[in-house]
Amino acid sequence: MDARVIEFVRGLRAAGVRVSLAESREAMQAVQIMGIKNRDMFRETLRATMIKEVASYRVFDELFPLYFSADDPPLQNVYDDLDTDDQNMLRNALQAMSGQLDDLLDWLTSGEGPTKEELERMAEMAGKNYARDHRDAVYVTREMLREMGFDKLQEKMAQLVEKLLEMGMSESAIMKILGVMEANQEMLVENMARQVGRQIAQDRAERPDDLHDSDLMGKAFNSLSAPEKIELRQELGRMVNQLKTRAALRRKRGDRGKFDAKGTIRASQRTGGAPFELKYKRNRQKPSLVLLLDVSGSLRETVDFALRLIYELQGQVSKVRTFAFYRTLSEVTHIMTKIDPKNDDEIYQPVRRAVDGGPYQTDLGACLQTFHDKHLSAVSNRSTVIVVGDGCNSYNDPRGDLLQDLSRRAKKLIWFNTEDPYQIQDDSDMHVYEPHCDAIYPVRNLRQLSAAVDKILID
Amino acid sequence: MFKDIQDVVSKLNDQEYIASEEISTVVYLAQQLGKPVLAEGPAGVGKTELAKVWASASGRPLVRLQCYEGLDESKALYEWEYAKQMLYTQLLRDTLKDVLSGAKTLREASERLSKEDDVFFSEEFLLPRPLLTALTSDEPVVLLIDEIDRADVEFEAFLLEILSDFQVSIPELGTIKAKHQPMVLLTSNNTRELSEALKRRCLFLHVDYPNFEAEMNIVRMKVPDLSEDLAKQAISVVQELRKMNLRKMPSISETLDWARALVTLNAKEIDAETLNNTLNVLLKYEADVQNARRRMG
Repeated sequence: MDARVIEFVRGLRAAGVRVSLAESREAMQAVQIMGIKNRDMFRETLRATMIKEVASYRVFDELFPLYFSADDPPLQNVYDDLDTDDQNMLRNALQAMSGQLDDLLDWLTSGEGPTKEELERMAEMAGKNYARDHRDAVYVTREMLREMGFDKLQEKMAQLVEKLLEMGMSESAIMKILGVMEANQEMLVENMARQVGRQIAQDRAERPDDLHDSDLMGKAFNSLSAPEKIELRQELGRMVNQLKTRAALRRKRGDRGKFDAKGTIRASQRTGGAPFELKYKRNRQKPSLVLLLDVSGSLRETVDFALRLIYELQGQVSKVRTFAFYRTLSEVTHIMTKIDPKNDDEIYQPVRRAVDGGPYQTDLGACLQTFHDKHLSAVSNRSTVIVVGDGCNSYNDPRGDLLQDLSRRAKKLIWFNTEDPYQIQDDSDMHVYEPHCDAIYPVRNLRQLSAAVDKILID
Repeated sequence: MFKDIQDVVSKLNDQEYIASEEISTVVYLAQQLGKPVLAEGPAGVGKTELAKVWASASGRPLVRLQCYEGLDESKALYEWEYAKQMLYTQLLRDTLKDVLSGAKTLREASERLSKEDDVFFSEEFLLPRPLLTALTSDEPVVLLIDEIDRADVEFEAFLLEILSDFQVSIPELGTIKAKHQPMVLLTSNNTRELSEALKRRCLFLHVDYPNFEAEMNIVRMKVPDLSEDLAKQAISVVQELRKMNLRKMPSISETLDWARALVTLNAKEIDAETLNNTLNVLLKYEADVQNARRRMG
């Protein structure tokens, strides 16, 4: 049983559930205490020790029956319930019906079903090796059933009934045959789906953890494939937690702050004016952010990930105001409040729609002018301004003077640069903006982005 | 101590708490493995109540720490009782004089005094807060750390040492180890994600709104005066309300309040008028009440 539990843990991990070594050891201890006789209790025991968030319940509930089900129930033999005449009639009818359905009809009537090896071969032909996780078992099984001829089964069964009637079999015997065949059909499909699911989960567990080995974290945002994006988004949640914990620990271990004379005197009142307890003012100001995002098409993925990351970290900053720019600039803070970065697939489009219209190329200078005219009050000496973009300005006037003004007003001006250092565009104005920035961080992939955000949280 | 899972179910039942298989398994496992339990779920489904009945069913006192934003170690663990220290120094002034008499220099006097300062930083002057109370209690206790998600992440980090080793370090006194390992239940309404380190140290229990049968059992047990028919109708309404998009779903405690209200009003059935008059017992926002009235006719 221990080996099965270990296999199960590997399956869970492969499906994205985090189970630590300590947790799996604990699960074993718990199983020893609770025993394995009661399946429900066994399930609860594993779940309470291994799964620590409700979101992972679904994966657990899907995988558990694949690893810990009783042996697949056997199919029934139709011939057992028939008298000799009927048995012969059925045999003759099946022989008369030749074709590719022979195997299938034979499995359903004899109750023997395909062997494990046959099933494995069929699963491979149906694309099992291309399945991403156990949930794809549905598609693989469907393909296998099609290969086996299930889609034509109803037709064939109707023909069989016709043939048996012709041969003079009684209706009650035919009903009996059909009943058993239908039950067998249902059971065969269930058994197959379970076996294929188990095989896929095991195969997946055999493969190394793609995310870390393929260095997806270091892959440029604009070269990510659709499945890779989904995988990275899942990783983002974990990263957010790490960033939060690190920020909290830093605050906890950080400088205990300036001496607080007022607080100390107030505390000394309890002890007759003797200052037993010294009080310190902790500098707990969280950064207030003003984001300026370049939402031109080439930055789609960067904007998506940057927004997800920053909005998931809302608790760590005191305030975020977000502005999008491309051809024009407008505030999108109100759009972001309606978006759920955890569940919404699309963040970029609604933000992008806010800045439609205007000329057909990026005009950063004009956008800075708009910001200067309409939204300058958003920036105070407490705010950190972050510009996300590549500095490409389509040969328009860069207006470095406006950025300089912004930098002077803000506590800090930081540029998240998405520019590829090996392919600097001709229209890049980064060299104009650079002297006015307090820092420039490259953010071409998730690793760089998280490092950049981490640095902002320190301030 | 619970003998087995059945024992957990029946003892909690004696305390008028209907424990699902999941809850009873986790409570029994926590006892056997000596691990804290982290109970997560919406407000009002009986997480805090579980700690109370756990304590009374196992005959242990309950020590409760209510978490809130800004809670720190001094409020959760211990404080020095400055007033008492001050009073003692005043009362012992003469003795202190004796100790210090004959000292020729300030340094000598200070050295003599520092030899005695253990007296003032001893357990006598320590004001234990819930966590220290739970660790130093002479009998084993159930420690409830309620709504941990409201506390800051820093406090969560501080809890890690206590939850894994059941000990704390006090600079003046050294490390204090638990006399008896307490049974710990942490509750969270999931308003923020807890750290993985904390989750790893706990058994996890998700308590959700009960299904129809379970809620029926709870209502029948807690409000026996409500007729079975009326209870069925009431719970159908509550279950229906939970499917709506409301700001705050009715919790079990609100179902019970409503059931009691129905008994008090002597209601015979839940018609439109009764529902209209009593809906604000179940729903706590005017918008929700309006929404429900519209949807339920």
